[in-house]
Amino acid sequence: MFEQLKELIVNYVDVDPESITGESRFIEDLGFNSYDFMSLLGELEVTLGVTVDEQEIVKLHTVDEAIKYLESLKG
Amino acid sequence: MTKENVLTLSDLVKQSAAEYGEKAFMQEKSGSNITELSFKDFYENTKRVNAFLKAFSAEKLHAAVIGPTSSAYLECYFGTVMGGNVIVPLDAQLPCPDICELLVRSDSSVFFFDSRYAPMIDAIRNNCGNIKKFVSLQSCEAADIALPDILAAFKPDESGAPKPVELASIVYTSGTTGKAKGVMLTHGNLIDNAMCRENESSPADVLLTVLPVHHVYCFTCDILLSLRYGATVCVNDSMLRIAQNLKLFRPTLILLVPMIVETIYKQIMAAAGAKKDIPAAAIAQAVFGGRLKGIYSGGAYLSPELIKGYNALGIPIAQGYGMTECSPRISTATLADEFSEAVGTIVNGCEVKIVEGEITVKSPSVMKGYYKDEAATAEALTPDGWLRTGDLGYVDEKNRVFITGRKKNLIILSNGENVSPEELENKFAMEDKVKEVLVYAEEGVITAEIFPNSDAFPGASDKDIAASMRELINKINENLPSAKTIRRIRLRKTEFDKTTSKKIRRNQTEQGEAI
Repeated sequence: MFEQLKELIVNYVDVDPESITGESRFIEDLGFNSYDFMSLLGELEVTLGVTVDEQEIVKLHTVDEAIKYLESLKG
Repeated sequence: MTKENVLTLSDLVKQSAAEYGEKAFMQEKSGSNITELSFKDFYENTKRVNAFLKAFSAEKLHAAVIGPTSSAYLECYFGTVMGGNVIVPLDAQLPCPDICELLVRSDSSVFFFDSRYAPMIDAIRNNCGNIKKFVSLQSCEAADIALPDILAAFKPDESGAPKPVELASIVYTSGTTGKAKGVMLTHGNLIDNAMCRENESSPADVLLTVLPVHHVYCFTCDILLSLRYGATVCVNDSMLRIAQNLKLFRPTLILLVPMIVETIYKQIMAAAGAKKDIPAAAIAQAVFGGRLKGIYSGGAYLSPELIKGYNALGIPIAQGYGMTECSPRISTATLADEFSEAVGTIVNGCEVKIVEGEITVKSPSVMKGYYKDEAATAEALTPDGWLRTGDLGYVDEKNRVFITGRKKNLIILSNGENVSPEELENKFAMEDKVKEVLVYAEEGVITAEIFPNSDAFPGASDKDIAASMRELINKINENLPSAKTIRRIRLRKTEFDKTTSKKIRRNQTEQGEAI
């Protein structure tokens, strides 16, 4: 999932894919705005076939947190 | 529909039913299906809500409403105002204490709420004795009654039709003093703004509404204009799913804020980079569903580079300018306009005067004042009715408005949200770990620049202080709407420079170290 997420992230922000780590924070470190982040999760909903809960999004700050949450949805 | 036969919001709904009848006013997702509501049925349902409110109270009342855009939300909105009652649309992202505060301050006695707020209802009942009726938009145990039951039980009633000068809505907006101000808009204000341009849309148009409906920008331009022109409004069910819903509903027009305009542009360019054999313009059309005529952008300033970028893809963008206090439109461009850095031309019936560099406005769209706040009203409106916008700018010989800066201290984020720095700075007032703080926007991100109180950290390392500040910001963010959360922290080693009256000079930004 990490590699898949990295591929999508570079479509939103101008960062070197190699600089993205599990600890990278979407907004502070990678330069996402709040709608970029929503949109990224919307894309992942389609590719992973899951439904993201909007209330949970505010709790996701880092790449690792997003992966953990998405994996929990996949079950 | 003319200015002669539509003077109030009640007239608008009634006239739309007469002119567009069985045509779809709204389309929304329901599970895997799409449901439709006609202009005629929408009008009938609003009359049933009016009947319910009339049965509840013989006196005119204030009713608050909260939730994402839905036909149920709008039935409660129009059902309230059609009988001369006042609607108070609340920000769907507000935390519970703020909802309670505004329910009390707005003197609401009825609360319409989307069932997702059910977990808050007990707390609201305990804190807001003024609310006598809790009405859920969907069936829900926390409510006294649900909208589907109202629609089934009450016969349509359109009595109590208001006059144009009567108050229709109180809209709370971030004030520069840190306390939300209730903008009082009359029926005449909102209708004037919905009628201030010609030929903007037609019954053939399909809009995808994506912005928060409690904002007047969305309410006037998506909802009122669709009622006026007979266009169909499709509901975007989540900000996560704009891309999916564009393909599903295939809008012809869409109202956006710069943040979304920018993100979609990045997606188009990323797709164009990956599929070099397909022209970027074809990809752009496909992203928007294949029949988009253009984008209207407002809420914040859209960079000219993005307008040029979209134009190169064959998608025109018309930028507008306004504020809640003006219902909201002051100037708008049209999709046919040539590229310009202006924020459109002044709308019909609106006068603009530049006073010491500040844009001031007089128009039938300008609010009555701020609810129960005479001091703020006197500050915003001159005795002869000119609205001080707080924006600096000029008007050229073609009546186009150009914005050059801001006079008042307000952060306008690219999603159109207005955030008062003082409101956020006040959250630190009781924190002994912070000696001084300045809040501002840095690259569109709300940033708190903090000078820690060293007395609170005896012997602590910089790393410990940074960790403690992150923890503090997380705690503060928990009680803020997500649009207002602090996303960047900078720690200073020195105090802020102050004015002679000991206020922090606001130009000292980006000096501390980001953590």
